[in-house]
Order: sequence, then C-alpha cells, then structure tokens
Amino acid sequence: MYPNLTPTLLALLGAAFAAAAFIAIRKPFLRRLALRQVSRRRTEAMLVVGGSVLGSAVIAAGLIVGDTLNYSVGQNAYQHLGPVDEIVDSSTLAAGAHAADLLAPLKHDPRVDGLMTVHMEQTAVASGISRAVPRAYTIEADFTQAAAFGAAGGPSGLSGTTPVPGQTVVNSDLATALHLKTGDPVTLYVFGQPVVEKVARIVPTRGLAGLGESNSDGTAFVAPGTFAAAAQAVPGAQPRTLTLVSNAGGVTSGDKLTASVTAEIRNLLGSSTGTQAAVQTPKHDVLKAARDAGNGMGSLFLFIGSFCIIVGVVLLMNIFVMLAEERKPEMGMLRAIGLKRSRLVRSFLIEGSVYALAASVLGVLLGIGVGRLAVVVAARIFRNGAGGGNSNSLSLVFHFTATSLVNALAMGFLIAFLTALVMSVRISRFNIIAAIRDLPAPGIAAMRTRTVVLCLAGSLLAAALSVPAVVGGRSVALYIWPTVAIMLAIPVLTRFAPPRAVYTATSFAVLAWTSLANTVRPHVFDTNSTATYIIMGCILIIASVILVSQNQETLLRPFRRGIERPTAGGLTARLAVTYPLARRFRTGALLMMYSLIVFTLVLLSVLNSMIQGTVSQGVSFATGGYALRLDYNPATPPDVVSSLGTSPFAGRVAAVAPLTVAPAKVQDLGPHGLGPANVTVVGLPGAVTRGDGFALMNHMAALGPDDRSAWRAVASDPRYVILDQYVAVQPGPAQTLYTSGDHVTLVDQATGRTEVKTIAGVMKTSAAFLGIGGRVAYPILMSDTAAKSEFGAQAVSSAALVTPAAGVSETSLAAELQGHYLTGGMVVTPIAQQVRQNYNATLGFFQLMQGFLILGLLIAVAGLGVVMVRAVRERRRTIGVLRALGYQARWIRGAFLGESALIATEGIVLGTTLSVFVSYLLFRNNAAFSGYEVGFSVPWIATFVITGIAFLASMAATYLPARKAAQTLPAVALRIVD
Amino acid sequence: MGIAEETDPSPLLLAEKVQKVYRTGRVVVHALIDLDLRVDAGEMVAVMGPSGCGKTTLLNCLSGLDSIDGGRVLIDGTDLFAMSDVERTSHRAANMGFVFQAFNLVPVFTAAENVELPLLLTGVAQQQARERAVEMLDRVGLKDRAEHRPGEMSGGEQQRVTIARALVAKPAIVWADEPTGALDTHMAQQVMDLLCRLNREERQTIVLVSHDPAVGERASRLVRMRDGRLESDGREVLTGVDGRGLRPDEQRPGAARAG
Repeated sequence: MYPNLTPTLLALLGAAFAAAAFIAIRKPFLRRLALRQVSRRRTEAMLVVGGSVLGSAVIAAGLIVGDTLNYSVGQNAYQHLGPVDEIVDSSTLAAGAHAADLLAPLKHDPRVDGLMTVHMEQTAVASGISRAVPRAYTIEADFTQAAAFGAAGGPSGLSGTTPVPGQTVVNSDLATALHLKTGDPVTLYVFGQPVVEKVARIVPTRGLAGLGESNSDGTAFVAPGTFAAAAQAVPGAQPRTLTLVSNAGGVTSGDKLTASVTAEIRNLLGSSTGTQAAVQTPKHDVLKAARDAGNGMGSLFLFIGSFCIIVGVVLLMNIFVMLAEERKPEMGMLRAIGLKRSRLVRSFLIEGSVYALAASVLGVLLGIGVGRLAVVVAARIFRNGAGGGNSNSLSLVFHFTATSLVNALAMGFLIAFLTALVMSVRISRFNIIAAIRDLPAPGIAAMRTRTVVLCLAGSLLAAALSVPAVVGGRSVALYIWPTVAIMLAIPVLTRFAPPRAVYTATSFAVLAWTSLANTVRPHVFDTNSTATYIIMGCILIIASVILVSQNQETLLRPFRRGIERPTAGGLTARLAVTYPLARRFRTGALLMMYSLIVFTLVLLSVLNSMIQGTVSQGVSFATGGYALRLDYNPATPPDVVSSLGTSPFAGRVAAVAPLTVAPAKVQDLGPHGLGPANVTVVGLPGAVTRGDGFALMNHMAALGPDDRSAWRAVASDPRYVILDQYVAVQPGPAQTLYTSGDHVTLVDQATGRTEVKTIAGVMKTSAAFLGIGGRVAYPILMSDTAAKSEFGAQAVSSAALVTPAAGVSETSLAAELQGHYLTGGMVVTPIAQQVRQNYNATLGFFQLMQGFLILGLLIAVAGLGVVMVRAVRERRRTIGVLRALGYQARWIRGAFLGESALIATEGIVLGTTLSVFVSYLLFRNNAAFSGYEVGFSVPWIATFVITGIAFLASMAATYLPARKAAQTLPAVALRIVD
Repeated sequence: MGIAEETDPSPLLLAEKVQKVYRTGRVVVHALIDLDLRVDAGEMVAVMGPSGCGKTTLLNCLSGLDSIDGGRVLIDGTDLFAMSDVERTSHRAANMGFVFQAFNLVPVFTAAENVELPLLLTGVAQQQARERAVEMLDRVGLKDRAEHRPGEMSGGEQQRVTIARALVAKPAIVWADEPTGALDTHMAQQVMDLLCRLNREERQTIVLVSHDPAVGERASRLVRMRDGRLESDGREVLTGVDGRGLRPDEQRPGAARAG
C-alpha cells in the first residue's frame, strides 16, 4: 500500500542510516561505545527492541490488511473478467451487429489483442425439481474465437468445441450452485422459456468463463441460435450483444491501455456511442474500486493502530529515560573526561539506530502474523455479514506486497529513530557530578530564554489561528489550535507562577474549552465524522493526565488516613503512592498510555452497544416500510403491480413499488469534488416518495421542515436527488465530505451526457437499494419520471419493493415469490435481513478494531512492566534501606503492586470516564444517531471486562518485578553502591 | 575475656564463631572466619581495618541484614538467625538503627518522612511519629529542613537526617557503616561529635565501621580486623574500671581536642 509514500520514506530512511553510518565511521570510539553497550546490556537492548517492535507490527498489519483487500478484489476482477478490458454493450441484435462492424478495425490495432462478439442474457437455471438459481447468465459464444481471445498463450478461460444444440457448457459456480455434473440435464429459462440442455462440460470460473455480472449465480454457454429459437415464443425478445475487447498485454497489464483503447472505441462508434452501444470498462472500474477499498481499509487500521503507535512511542521514551538513569554514572564519567554532549547524543543515536533497525525488521515480521490474524477475522465477517450475506461475497486471500513491507519497515524505523534522537538530546542534559555520584538531579534546569520565546511565539500564532477556527466553528481546528495556544504558553507562565499552579490552570483551561466548546459553537458537531470526537478525546486525555499527575496529592487526600496508619497496609500504601507522586513525568507518561488505549477500547465498545441498540429502528429506517426487494430480468419484466394483485398473491401483498434502474457515474460530488464513481440511478414511483420514505441523515432546510419535504422535492423536481452518505467516499475513518444542498454531476455512462443535480437529502442508509440491478454501486435516488427522461433506454424496470399484507410472513412470501417468478429470473431479497446482516458486519468490524487495539493495551501493559522492572533496579538501594529499617518483604511486594494498581486504575478511570463523556456527545450530536428512539447506554459489563482485563494484565506484568524487589537482600542491595 | 563480661553477664550483642563465605563461581572468599565479638549496652565500638578486611560484612551479618554461614549472633540474648525473615525484620525495626556512608535516605520522602519511618514501622501513630521526627531533626539541627527532600540538602545535612532516622525510635543499637566516608573533614567532625554526644548523653550503643583513624579515635573501643578475623580488640584498654565505656576525652590524649 501507499507506493507513492515509498520514495519519501526510503529517502528519510537512507538519510537516517547515512547519518548514523557517517558518525559511526568518522568516530570509531563512539561506534565502539554504542555497539558495546548493545552487546553488554542485552536485557536493556531487548527491552528497547521489544518496546519498538509492536509499533512496526501495527503499521505492517494495517498495510497488509489493505494489501489483502486490494489483492482479493483485484483477483476477483481478474478471475471473472480475464482478458476482457472493455465491453461494448448493445441492447438489440441489430445495434450489436452494427457496433461490432464499427469496431472491426480494432483487430489491427496494436493496443488490442482480442476482439469478439457474444450474445448474453440473464436467465434462471434449474436442475431437477428442487434446485434452481434465479440469476445466471446464458451466453452464446464461439469457443474457437474465445480460445484465441487475448494475449497469445494467455488463458482466455474458454477452449474446446463450441456447444452444439441441446448441449451446454457451465462454469464451476453454476455447477456448484446446482450440484451439476457432466451429462446432467439442466433447464435454462431463456426469455422465460424453458430450454432443456445437457451439461457437456464444466469449466472453471475464470476469464471468459466467468463473464457475467457480479452477484450472478454462474454462467451457461449454449450453442449459437439458442436465443433466436427461444425468442420465437416471445415476440420482440432479444439478447444483449456484447463486443468484448482485450487490451494488449496480459490479464493484469492490459489495464494500462484502458483509457486510450476506450477513447478509440468511442471514436469508432461515433454517434452510436450511448444510443446504440454503451462502453464499459469493468476491469478498470473494479481494480480502482479494489485499490480504493484496500487503501481505505488499510488507513482505517492505521488510524486505529495510530493509538497503539503513540502508546509505543511513549513506552520507548520511558525506556530511554530509564536507560539513561541506569547509565548515569558512566555518562557522567565520559562527560567528565571530556566527551562533548553532542557526541554523547551521537553515541546514543548509533545505539538507537541499531535498536530501531532490529525492532523494525522484527516488527514487520510480527506484523505479517498480526495482519494474517486480522484477515482471518475480517474474512469471517465478510462471509457472515458484509455483502448482505450473498454467497458471492468477497473472499479474502491473504496477501502482502513488498511496497507495504518496505513502507512499514521505514515508518517503524523512523519512529523509533526519531524517538531515540529526541530522547538522546533530553537525557544528555545532566549535572556531571550528580551523575557520577549517582545522586538525584539538582532540580529541573530552567528553560532557556530562547526556548521560552519560541514557545511564546508559537502560542501567539496558535492563538491567531484559533480565531478563524472558532469563528468558523471548524470542528477539528476549533479544538486543536486553542489547546496548542494554551499549552505553549506554559513555559512563559512558569516564569511568573509556581509550575504546579500553571500546569493545573492550563490543563483546566484546556479541559473546560474542549468540554464546552460546543456550547459556544453548536455547529461544531454538524458532521458525521468520528475524527472530531477522537481528536477531542485525545486532547481531553492529555489535559486530564497533566491535571491528575500534577495533583495526585489532592486526589489521594481521601485515602490519607489509611495511608498514614502505622500498619502493614498503611506502610505499604505509603510506599505505593510515593513514587507516582514524586515521579510525575513518568507517571504521566504511563497514565497517558493507559488512558489512550482504554479510551479507544471503551469508545468502540459504547459505539458497538449504541449501534446494537439502534438495529431494530435502523432496519425500519432502512426499509422504508418495505420488506422485500424483487430484482428481475429487464428483458422479461413481469407486470408486478398487476400480477401481485392476482392469484396466488391476491391479499398477500399490501404494496408494490416498481423501480426504474439505470447505471451511471457521479463526479464533482460536493465541495471536495469527489468521484468519478459508479452509482445506480433508482427511479422511485410516487408511492415511495409520498410515503414516510426512507430515513434521511440530513435534508435541505430550504425545502421544508422535515425529511418528507426532501422526498416531495425529488418527486416533483428532476433537479433534486437523494443519495447515500458514502457515494465516492473511500472506506476508512468516517468523514463528512458532502451534505444536503451540495451539488453533484450525474453522468450517463452510455452517452457521456452530464447533468448537475442538487442533493435534497442524504440517506442514513441505502441498504434497501444496495446491489439493485445486480451492480455493486451506491444508489442515487430520483423520481422515476426523471430517471426515464434522462437515461432513456438505459433506464429499465428491473426491480420493485414489496410490503407484505398484515399477518403475512415476509419469509414465506419471499419464498413463494421466488418460486413463482423463478423462470423469469426474479431474485427476491428480504431487505430487513440484509440490513441486519450489514449491521452484523459493522459490529464485526468494531470487534476487529477492538481486537487490533488489544495490541495497544499489550504495549501499555508491557510499558508498565518495563517501568517496574527498571524501578526495581533503580530503587534497589532504597529497597535495601527500607528492608534494613524494618520493612517486611511482603510490604515491598505490595508497594510495587499497589503502585501499578494506582497507575492502572487512574488510567482506566480517566480513559473510561472521558470515553463515556465523548461517546455521549457523539450520541447526542452525531447525525448518524439522530431520529433513533434509543437512550444513551454504556455497556458496563463489557466495559468492566475490558478494564478488568487491563487491570489484571497490569498486575500480572508487575508481579515478577515486585517479587524480585521483595526478595532483594538488604545487604546485597546496599553493597552494590557502598 | 575482659572485665565487662565479668561484671555484665548479658551483653547487648554477642557474636560467636560467625562465618561468612562468598561464592562467585569457583571463587570462594571467607569474609568472616570464626569471629567472636561482644558489645555491651552503652558502648561505642569502632571496627577498623584495611579495605576488604570484612568490616561491612561484619556489620551486615551482626545486624541481620545479611545471612551467616556459621556461628550465631545474639541480640539481648535472642538468636538473630533462629528467627524467620519476618521476625528478624520486625526485630530490626524495633531494636536497630542504621547510618550508611551514602546516607541512603529514601529520595522521594522529605527529611521528616524519612525520620518518622522507623517510628511508623514500630506502630507509632502518624501524628506522634511526625512530632518526634521533627523533634529529632531539631536535635540534629535540621528542624527548618524537615520538609526538604534529600536532593535539596547537602551531604552533611543528609547524614544528620540519617542519624536522626537511626536514633528516633531509640534503638538498642545503632550500626554505622563509614558514617563520615562521604563527608568533608568539617562535616565529618560534626557528625562524629553528634554520635559521640548521643553515646555519651543517652548511653546509645553504637557500632561503627570505618577506615578513618580519626573516627576510630573517637570511639570508646576500637576493634581491628584483618582478613575476616579480629586482629585486636581495644576493649580491655579502653573500658573503665566500672565497666562503662569511657568518654572520648578520657580515652586518648588529643581526643578532647577533636571533640
């Protein structure tokens, strides 16, 4: 993924390596110093590498998930389309023949290595009396021509002899669906007429053998003349004529010529383009969709994973600080004998590069494993829910590219390297004498005036940027800039007031602004973007952590009596709280790690619960009162309105709404100019637009007070459309890119004609229309009159919405309709069931994200463990003294566990509280939840389980260091330094 | 043995045939070899000897901070190593105070919190412990530094806090390991003055380990060690006819000047 990033990342990686190598070569003694530290202090080296590994692993896993999706969708395209790059689709035989004649010169075009014409029609297919599929495709093709189609030696997917009358060649999808084997009889309902054939061969669903629309049940190839024979019984019935074009090059590389070959096709077709023949580029479209889906999914994982990465960086910072503590006397000696501070930094940099390299390599390897696990879970979700549970749902094939691995390696290395660099600069500042004698640092050195001035300038700049952000009510900027302005003012303020007061006041200010900004600027939440809430949550966490770590004494005041008791418990508690109180930076860093991860985990859990709570109402919103959707062959459209009113359905159907469907594209969607993207135009009859309609997320206020006004506008004015919220939006973190009142350009794929429409409303969900017309594309809704007038012959009646009569089960009605209209190729979709499956898929993805975040929790727990391991070393002498004075071993153990418990509890409480607060704001203000009659609820059991696991894991991580501390013999501890 | 043993049959500390062996791989070091020592209440004993002779090991073993490999150590008649670790720790809290060369104050506690710690460990209520700690700090001249952390004090001040901590619970015996080792001459003199005064005025038993002759001179009794054994014990020489430890200025010419 992200090949465009690779050159930059490689350049940065090269620069970092070159810098480290240059120092190592120019200053051999620094190299020796650094490398010998690595080999001498293996435990420390392993800790640093371990701390960095997970960050790289998270990045690699995110990119690999994207690769897998990209590859799987791409493979699906290659498998089904094989060498076919362009299709010219004509709805009549005459138009098809004319188009084929016009395109004949392509045979001599060097950019084209295959040109053939086939006839195709959607048919129902039955085997025996119990097995039938409604949406198969029957194709008349010349197999000799097919075998030579595409690059020489390349697999076209079809070979052998063309079926003779009475015989059919079926692809493996159809054979599997109907349990067919060679020699079996099979009935094809061509134009609704039964044609009995014998299965001559079964061919793998690949290349031309996979030709057909997506979501089909399979393909049957029949002898030339089969359509003509069947059409005799159905006057006027004609199959579609497809002229297939293969671009020069292989199945995968031919796509590069799509633009120029398509232009040439349009040129050759001239005035026939659109009116007589629609030009399609199916492979290019699917591959683009695959790339978009892969990038979107990868970025979603990276977005979620970024929390883990932040936590990993904090862990690394902690480790470096402790590393420096450990080496303080040694570093002091080096400085004393004349080693410049810059050289000390360089030595750390060489060492850091070694750690970063090892960690990023190991992290990428681990990331492959984590990515594989994520893909396994995602594949299960796709099978069970996504895609409406359709048997043709995408099957994920684990895959990763070298680009992703290189990107992950480079990103992981650079993160670790930069952390090492920043921390080296920080830890190289120390008092030489204090370091040599291993004495506590003589207080924090005052910040340089230059730094203070820079911070002040930054604060003023951020304050200036805050003004337009606040005035304009821009969501993310409105939170970020005032926060930056306040935080950068801290160095200046500490010159005039005690630091603790400054930190407390500034963190209070940030908390107050972030919590209450929406009361000043109510429109800040006019977005369905969750990013606003995440940013808000992160700022709240940072401010809260500063506030808590600076005011631990106040927080612990209620427990003072217990802590001051001269009992075992009191003495243990006293020691447990002392270090978190005294080491505020370290405590803050740990709190940050816990709070961030718990915040995100609980937020996902609450969102999950809230979505679960909206399922039944969501189903109602999505179905618009209709329970079933019927998709049928436009070549043999049944008169559903009248036929469903007669036997055997008389009295069993309450309402029928026939829909007009046309393929189209959108471009220039909304202020960001999204697109182009495939859409399916759905023309709605008055019955749909007059009713309560489908629930909208938002509608144009100028049209009236409620959703109905938007539907009325669509019914009466062809300038208005209603569309799904995700049209042309890449998958990934939710973001608002267009809203009602924005404009969109609708493109007739056949003619290329464009028309600008106004978005009257944005649907909450368009699940009822997904997959309509057998296309995987989001719907764009308009009146059926508008659809027919704008799309002409492309707009066909191929679907209807049905409401069962009161007391009639939708399941039984669906089964009856499916059976009755099977021969016409009707597909009955229980919409509510499909919506529920989509909900399940969403919830499944939430769980997958939570699983991914567990990695972050692991890092946080590992961080606490590392801090405690180091604390045992650091406090060895103190432990010795305490034991000498009479502290029992079990009190020491208890104190370490208590210290961990305090930090974990504070982190958990902070993360949970802020998460509940932010999710409440999200629930109250996010349009996705508006209109639902559900109260805000927190899944306390799930929350307790999550936080309980976090707490117990923290205790487990601390237990061994605590036990080691307790086992320390006082004389041994004291001997080390005396 | 000496006169004190005859006049006082129950010594505060009695070490018999104490052995301590360190093993590091194949290297075996006999740090203490069949060492006998008796310390009576009110004595100020200085253990001296060259570096590596086992002074600190002796102090660690006799105080129960370290285990022994042979012999026994009786404190007020109680065998220190017949106790469990928990009992020995409690015993230490109730009966012993420690002064270390590197001060070894708990860095995250204030001076008052450091000093009150032994009191809390013996069950004294917080408020009372704090009062006594501040009082003790006052006695060592550091009342105004009670709320300061060790990092905010000079070496001499830190050592005085350590002495205050060692004495605040009125232990039977105070162990001091190179108490002036990290101090300059002036501060070392101040610290020794303080220890001698406490020994003299409160009959505080003190066993100190040092390689500094000036420290040894100020003690009421001088014990010399070499290669894990007692080389000489100045008990007979330095103990008065009444069995009490002599005041430093009674012991040697010039000692009064130092004190």
